[in-house]
Amino acid sequence: MLSFLIRRTFIGLITLLLITFVVYGLVRNMPGTPLTVAAAESDPSKTLSDEDLERLNKIYGLDKHWTQAYFIWIGNVAKLDLGRSISRKQPVTKLIRDRVSATLILSVTSLILTYMLSIPIGLRATVRSGSLEERSISTVLYMLYSLPAFVAALFLQILIAVKLGWLPLMGIVSDDYETMSLIGKAWDICLHAFMPVMCFTYGSLAYYSRFIKSNMEEVIRQDYIRTAKAKGVHPTNIVLHHAFRNTLIPLVTMLGLTLPGLLGGAILLEQIFQWPGMGRLFFEALSGRDYPTIMGLVLMFSFLTLLGQLLADVFYAFVDPRVSLS
Amino acid sequence: MPTPIPSPDLVIAAPEALDSATRGFWAETWVRFKRRRLALLALAYVCFLAIVAIFAPAIAGTKPVVCKYKGHLYFPALGYLNSKWENPVFYTDRFRRIYPENLKAKDPESWAIWPLVYQDPYRRVREGEWPDQPGNPTGVEGVPSQYNRLGTDQSGKDVFAQMVHGTRIAMLVGFVSMGISAVIGIGIGATAGYFGGWIDTLLSRVIELVMCIPALVLILALIAILEKTTIWHLMVILGATGWTGIARLTRAEFLKLKHIDYVLAARALGVGRFRIMFRHVLRNALAPIVVPITFGIASAIITESALSFLGFGADPPNPSWGTLLNAGRTTIEQTWWLVLFPGLAIFFTVLAYNLIGEGLQEATDPRLREAGK
Repeated sequence: MLSFLIRRTFIGLITLLLITFVVYGLVRNMPGTPLTVAAAESDPSKTLSDEDLERLNKIYGLDKHWTQAYFIWIGNVAKLDLGRSISRKQPVTKLIRDRVSATLILSVTSLILTYMLSIPIGLRATVRSGSLEERSISTVLYMLYSLPAFVAALFLQILIAVKLGWLPLMGIVSDDYETMSLIGKAWDICLHAFMPVMCFTYGSLAYYSRFIKSNMEEVIRQDYIRTAKAKGVHPTNIVLHHAFRNTLIPLVTMLGLTLPGLLGGAILLEQIFQWPGMGRLFFEALSGRDYPTIMGLVLMFSFLTLLGQLLADVFYAFVDPRVSLS
Repeated sequence: MPTPIPSPDLVIAAPEALDSATRGFWAETWVRFKRRRLALLALAYVCFLAIVAIFAPAIAGTKPVVCKYKGHLYFPALGYLNSKWENPVFYTDRFRRIYPENLKAKDPESWAIWPLVYQDPYRRVREGEWPDQPGNPTGVEGVPSQYNRLGTDQSGKDVFAQMVHGTRIAMLVGFVSMGISAVIGIGIGATAGYFGGWIDTLLSRVIELVMCIPALVLILALIAILEKTTIWHLMVILGATGWTGIARLTRAEFLKLKHIDYVLAARALGVGRFRIMFRHVLRNALAPIVVPITFGIASAIITESALSFLGFGADPPNPSWGTLLNAGRTTIEQTWWLVLFPGLAIFFTVLAYNLIGEGLQEATDPRLREAGK
């Protein structure tokens, strides 16, 4: 177990280095620098003079070749310093800390909802297998699965916010947020979060329900289920205790793989709902060529992806005694 | 994209016994595929889209499909497919893209067969261009009407015409980018799986690396490096970034199949490596690879429309469904038609490809076949 962890950590570190190296090369070679892009956006006539540009380039280390700059950056990362954002003049860690809560509101709520809803739906679909009810559930889930989230987000905005006027169209708080009471503030965020959470949830809900159902279909044909039936165990008991517990293994494993998604946010959805989370930060950093922020976020995403895969493997060995990591 | 889990109960049970010994693998697959009504319906829908895509200039356009002008036959509508295919005589005769009045004015003898709907995906149709048809409304006034069945966008371009021409983009993106992905993925996966050893270790690292780099960074960086992004560039980029899943699957299949006796037999006969890889092993590995390719077409279409939606798609004019959605988003409180119709088009197309993929999966997977019997 220990040697497995050490080996995986080592491979993971090398992969991280490679990923950041490639991404650093890619973003540094995109046309435009943070300085020229920002100047062109604010006022095309007010471009920086050559001397100013050179001075700023020197300050931000943009005058160096990207490979050299990469090693300076990675050296700072090793000292746990992600650098300062060029366009926002703030440390990258602070930027991430400011944005992470908004994304967590959406992703954690949606994860809990997904598990709370998909398990009963999946189990019910298994029990009612072949009935009209199960067929309609399956069809609806399949259609939801095929509906791209950004299309669903726009449809929801038109239906609920524009036509019915029940919920605010976008943003995270109302204009008069500052004047509200504490409960009023919480309620305001809830109202704004409702549509984004729905969009975050429905796709994974469909995926998980189908996943649970197909796993259950396999388990329910096993001999020990027949034995339980023959013993006269109550059908509900069979489904919950004998069958479902055995489908938990892949389900727990998937929890590890959702880790990057929890913090990563969704660029499109946050953009549509003007939600000030990580996805938007990433998008803004990319279009502003804000190298330190892009690299900080990429490092975080890839670290979480690799950690999630490792956790999934460890979970797997943990819940299923038949799997050994050595 | 995670592969959907097939539900075995959707398989329609076959009462008759099969004499499968007389049919080949793909014929057998087709027989099984045909039994699923939804999958067949989806296939019909995709064929319908392909027809719309090919005949788009004849369905909606402002250029005649065929016309006789000064004694010659011309096909100006082909200009929608490739601007070089529109005969330069119409430029030198100063048609300025307005065909109906100019044809009559410059050659009274001329005749023309027009597209079904006189609307253009690239420009606004103005008053008096076409008999009894007013100019297209602009801004947020373009509600669906009898002249613009699906409304117009802010600059007065007809939504129906843009969607018909956008079908071509959606179909091309799906097939071309997934074709590129398949070639890269199968090539790398087959090499890694068949040769094994350090080649496998190296290629597996490369696959993992590409998988871990956020797709948007990769795509946006590649787009930014290009000076002018055409739809073809975009397809190549999508293809060059979306092959990892296929590569992993191919590698796994090759690892499994290379130890089977027929490979040994072929090697003993002195067959070359590449012949074994692509003639013998790949043919047997193809069935499980075809399924994710079908799902991949759906996700390529989603990615392209998402990029166009973010404003990172092909350079304008680009009548992609995603571009329409983007236009709709800017005035979402007034222009619902700009969101609803292209949104539904994307949804049904993705759904169709997913259904076909699932149908193929159940037709080719022997484990699920048993459930169908």
